[in-house]
Amino acid sequence: MIEITDLQKIYRMGDVEVRALDGVTLDIAKGEFLGIMGASGSGKTTLLHMLGLLDEPTSGKIIIDGTDISTLNDYDKTMFRLYKLGYVFQDYALVPDLTVRENVTLPAMLRKDLTEGQYRDACTDILTKIGMLDRQDHLPRELSGGQQQRVSIARAIVNKPDILFADEPCANLDTENSRMVLDLFREINEEMKQTIVMVSHEDWHKDYFHRIIRLRDGKVTSDGINDRNAH
Amino acid sequence: MGKKELKVAFLLALRSLQRGSRSSVILTILIIGMCFTNMIFLPGLFNGIGQSITKQVVDYEIGNVLVSPKTGDQYVSDLGATLDLINGMPGVERATPHFSKGATLKYRQRMLGVSVRAIKPNDEKLVSPLYTKMVAGSYLGEDDTGEVIIGRPVAGDTSIREEDEFQSSLGGVRVGDSITIDYGNGYVKDYRVKGIYYTGWSSADSAVYVTYTDMALADPKAVDNADYITVKTRPGYSEKFVKDELIQYGVSQKVQTTADLLAKSMGRALQSFAIINMVSLIVGIIITTVVLFIVITIKTINSRRQIGILKAIGVDQEVIMHSYGFQVIIMAVLGILFGLVLTLLMAAYLAANPIVTPEWSATLYLTPMDLIQNSLILFAASIVAGYVPAYQVSREDIQSAMRA
Repeated sequence: MIEITDLQKIYRMGDVEVRALDGVTLDIAKGEFLGIMGASGSGKTTLLHMLGLLDEPTSGKIIIDGTDISTLNDYDKTMFRLYKLGYVFQDYALVPDLTVRENVTLPAMLRKDLTEGQYRDACTDILTKIGMLDRQDHLPRELSGGQQQRVSIARAIVNKPDILFADEPCANLDTENSRMVLDLFREINEEMKQTIVMVSHEDWHKDYFHRIIRLRDGKVTSDGINDRNAH
Repeated sequence: MGKKELKVAFLLALRSLQRGSRSSVILTILIIGMCFTNMIFLPGLFNGIGQSITKQVVDYEIGNVLVSPKTGDQYVSDLGATLDLINGMPGVERATPHFSKGATLKYRQRMLGVSVRAIKPNDEKLVSPLYTKMVAGSYLGEDDTGEVIIGRPVAGDTSIREEDEFQSSLGGVRVGDSITIDYGNGYVKDYRVKGIYYTGWSSADSAVYVTYTDMALADPKAVDNADYITVKTRPGYSEKFVKDELIQYGVSQKVQTTADLLAKSMGRALQSFAIINMVSLIVGIIITTVVLFIVITIKTINSRRQIGILKAIGVDQEVIMHSYGFQVIIMAVLGILFGLVLTLLMAAYLAANPIVTPEWSATLYLTPMDLIQNSLILFAASIVAGYVPAYQVSREDIQSAMRA
């Protein structure tokens, strides 16, 4: 599903060179729920951004579903993100001026292969699934953190992407809400067979992952299957 | 950009205006409205002054077409035949002769130098609205003799002392009073004041009118001569058409339209008006452009992270750019509509309460074309002002935008 070869990302700040990713090579299988763990500054988010086409690697290759992403121009990358990828951000990143329904519908509205009726139905289904249908006309600021994160997940999966990226989605949530969000990810992974790549630094989250990659100083220090949840 | 993308861009724009900072939206709309009013008010007022002056000149001085003596001649001679010829032309409502003579008016202890204008009252009625401007007494009859109508400033006011007068007058002549006119050629005659008029056009109000019959007694040259003939055209006939026709059919005098005369006499004033109008227009456009540029720049800078998120979830940069563009379009349309309402309200107020000076009275003169033209110019300026920052910020890479 995802093939990463010798991925490097070097940030230059004046004369100082920071190797955020230093030769990461990795394969991620379809339907896997992969956890990327590591201390702060280990390169987790940078790796996620490279995989999510949000940033350009300095060198190395990423192939997603057979497509070498370095060959895509800006517009193609945007369309790739729209049709194939979903994102869940740490701070929910909902559009504050849009209601819950509008936030969730937004990516689906842009799909050329969906009619208005289809994306409305898809939105209703997902809002029902995350238990937010009764709050569909609320604005993000009228929701709790946990509810906002559920909406963010709904927006990420409304287009039924092949891969879902989540960047510390529970960082701003209490344990109860975190568990609710992780349960939702697990459900999505199991029911919709979506590949999920999630960054986390909370050790207890590993219980949810099929496989765990640990990073330190931009390098993969361990790559192991979680026997309890093996894919 | 397809229909779906435009729909999303419009949704984002609409929601941002509806649920974003309302005070900023309202202020922006007010500013655009004020800029529109600023752009159109001064030119409209100048046009109003121009129109007012033109109307008064046409009504009380030259008509639509002026027939005056050809170079070297003192008068338009063979008056009867010339008038018959002109009045017989298609497109001519009526032609009326004028014969003026400088004279001194005497009333009690007061003496006043004026221009005595001889007219044919019935013909004059068909060319000039003077007869509708009587404020006391009545207009001249066709064969009146020994009767005169005088302008209100000439008649004066008994309550104002001579040394306090802005303009010299006869000190309070009333209808029925007798005044003496000394024509300076030895002919002196007492006239009864038949009426007092006020047109608002100082040149006419400073004169007195007698009949041609009376003037012929004072100056025999008036029998078959005129200083000039004013011609009123029929509706649907252009002044140019009538002028060309008069020349073609043998009117051997100098024939000029209002436009010809105004171009000579007011050309420089009109040029000055045009310069002021242009300055006003440019200032209005610059203010609007700068304000909108600042508003949209601030909006986009404050929304950089959101723009990054939108791009991350697959919203194309053109959709994002157009969402800001639509915001500007909506604010510009509302601002222009507000400006239109404001301008039309001011036009209605000035129509009811014109600006009056001793020389002219002016209202706001606006044509639909002025309104459309200014609306389009302001709209175009708004689009440029809004799209430039929107284009710049929408091109920013996702990482930089999201870090903002």
